Amino acid sequence: METAAEQIPLESFLFVSAILFSLGVFGVLSRRNAVHILMSVELMLNAVAINFVAFSTYTDGELFRGLVFGIFVIIIAAAEVGLALAIILRVFRSRATANVDEVSQLRW
Amino acid sequence: MTVAEIVFYLLALLSIVAAIGVVTVPNVVHAALFLILTLMGVAGFYILLSSEFLALVQILVYAGAVSILLLFGLMLTRGREQALPSVGPGSQWPLGLITGIVLGAVLITAVLDSAWPGDDGQVTMVSLNTLAGALFRDWLLPFEIVSIVLLVALIGAVVIAHHEEEA
Amino acid sequence: MEEAWLLPALPACAFIILALFHGYLPRRGDFIAIGAAIASFVMFLMVAVDLIDQLPVFAHDLQNNTSGFDWVEIPEVDFLLRIGFRVDQITVVMLSAVTLVGMLVQIYSVGYMKGEPRYGWYYAVLSLFIAAMMTLVLADNFLLLYITWEGVGICSYLLIGHYYERRSAAEAAKKAFITTRIGDVFLLIGIVLLWREAGTFDMSEIFAMAEEGGFDKGYLTMATLFLFGGAMGKSAQFPFHVWLPDAMEGPTPVSALIHAATMVVAGVYLVARVMPLFEASYDGALYFVLAIGLITTFLSVFMGVVMSDIKRVVAYSTLNSLGLMMVALGFGEAGVGAAMLYLFCHAFFKALLFLGCGSVIHGTEKQEVEYLGGLHKKMPITSWTFLIGSMSMAGLVPLAGFFAKDEILVKAEDFHIGILILVLITLPITAMYMLRVYMLTFLGQPKDHHVYDHAHEQGPIMTFPLILLAVLAAVAGFVVFEPVGEALGWGTGFLETVEYVLTDHPHEFHFDWPIAIISTVLVGAGLAAAWYAWSGAMARSKAAAEKFPFFYSLFRNKFYIDDFYQWTITNVVLGFARLVATFDRSVVNDTGIDGPGQFASITGWVLKYTQTGKLPNYALAMTLGVVVLAIVGFSVKG
Repeated sequence: METAAEQIPLESFLFVSAILFSLGVFGVLSRRNAVHILMSVELMLNAVAINFVAFSTYTDGELFRGLVFGIFVIIIAAAEVGLALAIILRVFRSRATANVDEVSQLRW
Repeated sequence: MTVAEIVFYLLALLSIVAAIGVVTVPNVVHAALFLILTLMGVAGFYILLSSEFLALVQILVYAGAVSILLLFGLMLTRGREQALPSVGPGSQWPLGLITGIVLGAVLITAVLDSAWPGDDGQVTMVSLNTLAGALFRDWLLPFEIVSIVLLVALIGAVVIAHHEEEA
Repeated sequence: MEEAWLLPALPACAFIILALFHGYLPRRGDFIAIGAAIASFVMFLMVAVDLIDQLPVFAHDLQNNTSGFDWVEIPEVDFLLRIGFRVDQITVVMLSAVTLVGMLVQIYSVGYMKGEPRYGWYYAVLSLFIAAMMTLVLADNFLLLYITWEGVGICSYLLIGHYYERRSAAEAAKKAFITTRIGDVFLLIGIVLLWREAGTFDMSEIFAMAEEGGFDKGYLTMATLFLFGGAMGKSAQFPFHVWLPDAMEGPTPVSALIHAATMVVAGVYLVARVMPLFEASYDGALYFVLAIGLITTFLSVFMGVVMSDIKRVVAYSTLNSLGLMMVALGFGEAGVGAAMLYLFCHAFFKALLFLGCGSVIHGTEKQEVEYLGGLHKKMPITSWTFLIGSMSMAGLVPLAGFFAKDEILVKAEDFHIGILILVLITLPITAMYMLRVYMLTFLGQPKDHHVYDHAHEQGPIMTFPLILLAVLAAVAGFVVFEPVGEALGWGTGFLETVEYVLTDHPHEFHFDWPIAIISTVLVGAGLAAAWYAWSGAMARSKAAAEKFPFFYSLFRNKFYIDDFYQWTITNVVLGFARLVATFDRSVVNDTGIDGPGQFASITGWVLKYTQTGKLPNYALAMTLGVVVLAIVGFSVKG
C-alpha cells in the first residue's frame, strides 16, 4: 500500500506552509494584544515545522533530519512561549496594559 | 481523487480557516481557541507525512501545553475595564496586510516556480525505534542543549515574572 | 681683494653681538658697531689700493677679484647658492660711499641718538644694514644679490620704524616695505627668468651669454625690464616714489645713510651692473629707463618747491637725484660713468644735507620751516656745511655736484638734444628749491623766537662728520680730471676708470665748455629767482602761491598720487578682499563646512521619527526588509 506521502505532491504541503506563514506575518504586524501577537508567532513556527518535516519525508527519508529538526522547533517554541509570557506579565504589571501600541516609552 | 488527497484538502481547509480566525477575530480568547484548531490541523499534516511521533508531540505540547499557557497569560493580563480582553486590529494593519500578501505571493511563486526533488521517490517510514536511537545517538548534543535551553527558559520565566515581596 | 669678504663680515658680527647683548654692554655697545664700521673702512681702503694697483684694466682682466664659496647646490635643477664676491671699479665706488658715509653716520649717531630709546638695537640694525649693503655690491651672483636686496629692505623697515610708538612712523615703515616689495617681486621674476635660460645665477656667465647672443632678444628684454622693476622700487622711481618722503619718519642719520647715500642707489647700482643685459636687449628697455627717470625728476622737482618740512625737501631732492641717475643710465653704456660719478658725489652732499637737517632738528627740536629762520648766527657750522651741500646739489661750479650734473648733461647732448633740454629745465628749479630751504632755515628773521632762543650748535661728534662731508662735497668732483686720477694712482680720470668695467675703450673725458656755461647760467638764474622770491617776508612767494592755487595744491599734495594709491587700495584691493572674505564665510564656511554638519543634523532630526517605540512598527520594518530581500533574491535568481 502506498503511503499518503506518495499520493500527495510535495508542493501542496509547501503551499499550505506558505499560506500559514503569511497569515502569521499578518497577525504579528496587525494585532494589538501582545498575547495575540505571540499566537501569530506560533502560527509561523508551525508553518516552518511543516516545511521541515515535509522536506524530510520527501527527500531525506533515511536520515530524517528535518523530522528531528521539527521536534526541536516544537521544544524551542514551547520554551519561548513561556519566556515571552513572563515578559508580557512583567510589562503588564508595571504598565497595566497588554496593548503593544501603548508601550512606547522608548520613542524619540 | 484518493482518500489521502481528500483528507489533505480537508485538513488544509481546516488549518487555513482556523489560522485566518486566529489573526482576524477581535476576541483574543476566541483567537486562542482557533489556534488550538490550527495546531490540530498541523498534527494531522504530520500524520499524513508519516511522522506519527511528531504528531503526538505536537498535540501534547502545542495544543495541550502551549495553548493553555497562552490562555493563562490572557487571563493574567486582562485590563480592568474589560471582562475579556477584546481589542480590534492594531494601528498599522493595512501595511501588515500588504506585507502579508506580498510575502505570501513571493513564497507561493517560489514554491510553484521551483523544481522540487523527490516527487517520485519512495517514502521511507521512520519507526519510533529508529527515531529514538537517532535522537540519543546522533543527535545527543543538540538534545542535551535543548534540555538546558528549557531549563534556562524555565528559570528565566520564573525570575522575570517573580512578584517582588513588599517587606 | 680675496679678503673682500671681510668687509661685510665685520659689521655682520657687530650686528650679532649687538642684537644679542646690547642690553648688557656698556654704552649699549655702540663702540662695537663704530669699531666694525671703521675696520670696514680700513679694509675697503686696502681693497681699493689692491684694485688701483691693477688699473687701468678691463674688469675681466682684474686679478684675484673674486672669492667665496658654494653654499647650497642642487645640480639636478641647476640651483646654486654661492656666497661669492667680486670686486671691480663699480663695486669700489659703491663701497666707498657705503663705508665712508656709514662710518660717519655711526659716529654722528652717538651724538644725535643720545638718550633715545632702543639705542643699542639701532646700532645693531645699522651694522646689519651696512653688512647687507656691502654684500649686495660685492655679490657676484643674482641670488646673493636678491637675498641682500631683501636684507637691506628689512633694515630700512626696522630703522624707519625705529620710533614705532608713533603711528606715522609705523605706517611709513610699512609703506616703504610694501612699495619696495612690489619692486622686489619684479626683481625676483627677472632673476628667475634669467636663470631659466642660463641655468646659473652667476652674473659674469649671464653677461657673457647675453653678449654672445645666447638669449632670445625679446626674452632678455623682458627679463631686464623685470630687473629694472626691482630697481624702480628700491630707488623710488615713479610710480614707486611714494615711500621715500614718508621714510623721513625715521631718525635722521638713518635717512642720511640709507635714503641718500646707499640703499636708494642700490637700484642705480643694479642697472649699472646689468648694463650688458640692457645693451643686448631691445632699445626700448633703455628708453623705458630714461622715461621713468625723467618723470621722476620732473615730479620731484616741482614737489620740492612747496614742501615745508626741511627733511622732506631733502627727500624730494634725493628723488630728483635718483631720477637724474636713471636718466644717465638710460643713455646706455655711455651713461654708466656719468651715473656712477653722480652717485659718488651725491653720497657726500646728500648725506651732508641730511646730517645738517639732523643738526637743525637736534638743536631746535623742530623741522618745519615755519618755526625756523635766522639760524645762521646760532648754528654757524651747520649753516656753512648745509650751504655747501645744497649748492653742490644745485650744481654750482666748482662744487662736486656741478661736475656730476654736467657729465650727465654732456651725455644727454650726445644722446638727443630734446633730453638735454628737458634736463636743463630742471636745473634752475633744483637750484631754486635748494636755496629756498637754506634761506628759510638759516637766513632772514627767526619765525619762532622761542625756538630761536633755545637753538644751539652741536658738539664736535656731530659737526666733525658735517665738516668732512662738506669738504668731500666740495672737491669730490675733481676726480674727473686726468691729473687728479693719475695722482690717485688710477691711471686716468674717474669716468674712464669706471667705464673700463664695461668696455675696453672708454670715452675720454673732455671738459665741455658750452654745457658748463649754459648750466652755470641756469643755476644762477634759479638762485636769483629763489633769492627774489623768498627773501624778506616771503611776500613774493606767497603772492605766487595765491596766483596759482591749482599748481600750489597740486605740488603740495604730491600730485595726489598718494591719494590715488590709497583710493585704489581701499576700493580695489580691500574691496576684492571683502568679496573674498564674504565668499569664504558664506560658501566655504557656512555651506561647505557647516553644511554637511547641518545636513547630518537635519537628517537625524527627520529620521528620529522612525523610532516610534512601538513594537509593531519595528516588526513591520524588519519584515519589510526581509520581504524586499526575498523579492530581490528571487528576481536575481530568475
